[in-house]
Amino acid sequence: MTRGTELVVNGKRVRVDVAPQTPLLYVLRNDLALNGPKYGCGLGECGACAVLVGDRSVRACAVPISALGDRQVTTLEGLGSRDEPHPVQSAFIACDAAQCGYCLNGMIIATVALLRRVAHPDESQIREALRYHLCRCGTHLEILDAVRSVAAPPEGPASGHREER
Amino acid sequence: MTSQRERPVSSYLADHDSLTVTRLAAAGGEELFIAIGPDGRVRAFNGHVDLGTGIRTALAQIVAEELDVPFGSVEMVLGSTGAAPNQGATIASETIQVAAVPLRLAAATARAWLVARAAAAFGCAEADIVVSDGVARPGAEGNRFLSYGELIAGSRARLRIDPDTALKPVADYRVVGRAQPRVDIPDKATGAFSYVHDVRLPGMLHGRVVRPPYAGFDHGAHVGSSLVAVDEASVADVPGLVCVVTIGDFVGVVATREENAILAMQRLRVTWRDIPAIPDLNRPEDAIRGNPASPRKLLDRGDVDRALEGAGEIMQRSYVWPFQMHGSIGPSCAVADWRPDGLTVWSGTQNPFPMRGDLSRLMDMPEEMIVVERLEAAGCYGRNCADDVTADAALLSRAAGMPVRVQLTREQEHGWEPKGAGQVVDIRGGLDREGGPAAYAFETRYPSNLAPTLPLLLTGKIPPTASVVQMGDRTAVPPYAYGNMRVTVHDMPPVARASWFRGVSALPNSFAHESFIDELATAAGVDPIEYRLRYLHDPRAADLVRAVAERAKWKPHTGPFSHGGDGDILYGRGFAYALYVHGSFPGTAAAWSAWVADVAVNRKTGEIAVTRVVCGQDTGQVVNPDGVRHQIHGNVIQSTSRVLKEQVDFSSTAVESLEWGAYPILRFPEVPDVDVLMLPRPDDPPLGAGESASVPSAAAIANAIFDATGVRFRELPLSPERVRAALNPLPPPDVQEKPRSVRRRVAGPLAGAFAGALALGAAVLPWRSPIPPVERPAADVFSAATVERGRLAAALGACNVCHVGSDGTAFAGGRAFETDFGVIHAPNITPHPEAGIGAWSYPAFERAMRQGVRRDGGHLYPAHPYPSFAKAGEGDLQALYAYLMQQPASPRKAPDAELRFPFGIRPLMAAWNALYLSSSGAPRDTARGAAWNRGAELVEGLGHCSACHSDRNVLGAELKGDRHLGGGYADGWHAPALGALSAAPVGWTEDAFYDYLRKGRSDDHGPASGPMAHVVESLAPLPDADLRAMAIYLASLGGDAAAPTQVSPAGAIDAAKAAEPAARLGFPVGARIFEGACASCHDAGAPMASLALNSNLHADTPLNLIRTIMDGIPEPVGEREEVMAMPAFGASLSRPAIADLADYMRARFAPQRAAWSETASTVERLAAGAPARP
Repeated sequence: MTRGTELVVNGKRVRVDVAPQTPLLYVLRNDLALNGPKYGCGLGECGACAVLVGDRSVRACAVPISALGDRQVTTLEGLGSRDEPHPVQSAFIACDAAQCGYCLNGMIIATVALLRRVAHPDESQIREALRYHLCRCGTHLEILDAVRSVAAPPEGPASGHREER
Repeated sequence: MTSQRERPVSSYLADHDSLTVTRLAAAGGEELFIAIGPDGRVRAFNGHVDLGTGIRTALAQIVAEELDVPFGSVEMVLGSTGAAPNQGATIASETIQVAAVPLRLAAATARAWLVARAAAAFGCAEADIVVSDGVARPGAEGNRFLSYGELIAGSRARLRIDPDTALKPVADYRVVGRAQPRVDIPDKATGAFSYVHDVRLPGMLHGRVVRPPYAGFDHGAHVGSSLVAVDEASVADVPGLVCVVTIGDFVGVVATREENAILAMQRLRVTWRDIPAIPDLNRPEDAIRGNPASPRKLLDRGDVDRALEGAGEIMQRSYVWPFQMHGSIGPSCAVADWRPDGLTVWSGTQNPFPMRGDLSRLMDMPEEMIVVERLEAAGCYGRNCADDVTADAALLSRAAGMPVRVQLTREQEHGWEPKGAGQVVDIRGGLDREGGPAAYAFETRYPSNLAPTLPLLLTGKIPPTASVVQMGDRTAVPPYAYGNMRVTVHDMPPVARASWFRGVSALPNSFAHESFIDELATAAGVDPIEYRLRYLHDPRAADLVRAVAERAKWKPHTGPFSHGGDGDILYGRGFAYALYVHGSFPGTAAAWSAWVADVAVNRKTGEIAVTRVVCGQDTGQVVNPDGVRHQIHGNVIQSTSRVLKEQVDFSSTAVESLEWGAYPILRFPEVPDVDVLMLPRPDDPPLGAGESASVPSAAAIANAIFDATGVRFRELPLSPERVRAALNPLPPPDVQEKPRSVRRRVAGPLAGAFAGALALGAAVLPWRSPIPPVERPAADVFSAATVERGRLAAALGACNVCHVGSDGTAFAGGRAFETDFGVIHAPNITPHPEAGIGAWSYPAFERAMRQGVRRDGGHLYPAHPYPSFAKAGEGDLQALYAYLMQQPASPRKAPDAELRFPFGIRPLMAAWNALYLSSSGAPRDTARGAAWNRGAELVEGLGHCSACHSDRNVLGAELKGDRHLGGGYADGWHAPALGALSAAPVGWTEDAFYDYLRKGRSDDHGPASGPMAHVVESLAPLPDADLRAMAIYLASLGGDAAAPTQVSPAGAIDAAKAAEPAARLGFPVGARIFEGACASCHDAGAPMASLALNSNLHADTPLNLIRTIMDGIPEPVGEREEVMAMPAFGASLSRPAIADLADYMRARFAPQRAAWSETASTVERLAAGAPARP
């Protein structure tokens, strides 16, 4: 409990004085007052707690803070704000891609990570990238619309799956 | 800090310069609906809450429309008991249909007052006043303006809702009926939104509950009275623990930090009585039929029995619906702040006012002293644990005297949420001579009630008796004009804890109605839609059915196989229609809904894909078209998931599906295309849209499968196993015959022989002589270089892995080791003169290291790997001695060993040594170079790899020859063979060994876990050159004999990919759990090395795999290329599920290896020591 651990979260270096095995999720939520990552299962199954470590989407419930070292952690808050949203956040807002919105954090983080890997993913790459993110409200179609809208190459949508709106 | 507190009604009423609209509450007092301030901003109040459906936006549209103000100037306050009107629970899709009615009248009342005020100000007639965007003018051409704020300024308008006030004609609508972006999503998408999970109060503590073992059952004499004892000492060392709370069967813990509250929850030792067994709910039909019931006849028309006698063939059909879960993605959470003079709770409840009553009862506190602040939570679809956890928080806050936040675990939410009840429906019917329905006798059984708030039951505040609530009647009366018809509901109490779930009993009832009429149509040789329309006399229903058929380009057909197939894939299309009726019988109708579902069925595997759904709905007037469309999408996807995949598993005492592997839901790749058709009905009243589109789902899909296959399915879910069994009644493809059990190591029966054989040895080889004590060497005796070398030697020997003190003090000893011979404790090896080795001279130390003899002459057990240390270099041992003598002395003495006879006779170890202690050093071979020889010394000497990686004989001695490093056991883990005997599919190269020792993982083999993870940590200080030397030596073991079973990494991964379909067929449960619980990290494209390469999957024993599944890997090891640990699943997955998962993983990832025979027994053995279930 006495050793401090340094973390880099949303571009800021912070020191927290907690046990090194503490899952990142609790540090983000309770010590740094970040609401983006959500507790969903604690088992890495649902994706509600996803954050970016570097460019990779990981499940904060399963990341002990001792493992992070100097890596950059980015949460939903670190992507953008209500006034200056990240393009992926803008797309989700424009498509009304949430019902209860509890899974929304993970969906946006996974999409950002996907787009950093693949600039213009196709339909099956999009669905696979979101495969291990659970949504119970059934917002999948709006979420897919949102991801397609930021994934499409400039000339048009990535696939013919767009639903008429 | 986020501590949202709504202003109370009295504060609004006390405002100057304001307009309020209220009504007198039934219970007295005033209920507030509208408050407008001098800035013109409108606050509107509703007792129903937003469960994620977007009613916050839709209600604001209604208010903005009726008041003629900009949409953005309206803010909704929903559900908080201090401010919002009591409109009961948010259920039954009735917010827009029912709860919005007084709100609309209130807005119209306010507008009328404002218009009158403007007319007076302008000196014109009220009829001439024109209002738009909250600004009034005297006539359309008038150029004088007064805003609402200006009209209100200077007055305190206290209005009552005027039920006769004129409402705006629909033709004038400009806000209602237009798509309106949801007001909450910008904040939700940027992390600025505060859910109830995000409430933070000054001084707030964190609580967790420990639920009783009867998870998911809330009645019976044992409920509330099964606790035997709580051992508070078991959590005494949890940092920041505030209190442990026990009331009846309610158990909770409070700590200053959340992760420590979790630790306390996991560690708290609680003893419960044995729980009585429940009927088998995995096959719910028998249990539901056996549940006591009283019949209630809803309708009896014509003469059913006589008509059936006249029917050609009586069709008697039964439909079975499984228990299902609401499955909130966010487990319920609440914060409570209890004080002697009042209680405030922040809650995600959908029933703020009813819950306040429950809290009053639970806390012995009048309702007036309780405020429920309602914040949004994860979607609940009927019911979750929101009320339970609010009550939990109230109890824990009272005990701690501070605000407490309680978060339920995933396992608790899965286990305890009131389930969507299983249901059984029987229909008797048949055709008359003209092919019409001769009669229709419908009986339904629905075991559910309102699910009382759990802590009331656990604390004994209310008795654990199950009430009967009449809820099985939703849409029990079919929509068709059957002339002879009887409809009976068998009202019954719950079996498992159950409550409303989207569509309630209407969903199973419609599954039966719509499947049966489809069957009648086929029997009559008529197209299923045409047949329905003959008996569907509600014109709006018929319009909808026709519109959906047209939109889907329905091709009339009179029998199955209308859509053909392609190889093993069969295509089909089905139709269903329903009008969802909610509320007490005869109930209120919500929106009309109809589905055309397209399916693809794999007739070999039984897998079903719903590829497309055309869903039509008549919602009456649509307030927010986008909102309704999204509700339809959500209903279609969620109900498709329920129909195809969902069923709660039960053990003999409790719910067993405690996470998403055991209870899978639809994923992105499985989501169908959905085409929504909304019938325009702007002039009809708005209808509930939250549930209707779920109701036709099951029958539409089952009817489509009939079209594809010619087989009718009448029980859900339509899992691959169920479908395959019906389509292709063959046993699953050959699963490799399980081999006979592998050799078990048996110590007991041979112990006597050991005693006899060595009794003689003990006499011949007596106690060794003590070596006199010395003063602990002074600090400056050893050079810094020597001490540093000793530090590395200690790291190589991983001394502190075994000798670490129970409190973490280095080398202080005390750790217990279970061996075949009994429990051995690692001694204190700090330089304490009595408790440790401070009085040991170097010769005494060296003798202990090389010969296993203590300074006092007593023998050590070979858990201390002195046969390996015998091979260590002299310089290393001296340096190690120097290093240990520099450590802080710990005065704690390790406990004595507890060995079974005859192993407790230490002198016998002398004979053992005579038999097994070799005097030869580490292997040397000058031809192989310096690095190899250095590696040999490190591996065989201080590194003592063979202590774990060689098996031992019945006397605990390492096996030699080709069994040396041929695989052994350590600390309850299997230590795999190194070198030629390795079972890994890809050979262990020098680089692989090096990566593994240096970084804790090898890309071709996976990560170090269990005791090996500690070894890798311990090796961290060693220079790269030493680890390289060890790798060179290890890679040389077994020489060229290594090759035969080994392939390239790509080859192993391809083999696993090819084996996946057969593995899935052989172990469907394991396959589902893998997909739900493991694949997020271990899927093909996922970051973790493919399990196809993991040695543990290829080992002869499932021990390590099962241990890893159950205990997880708490931290990534080595150089931390990976940041994710592996969660422990031992408390989340049932024992049979873990065994099936292990079997599936073996079949998929090590297809060339024989199946394991002892997965189930290994799981049982390990589970016996595993933490209690949540």
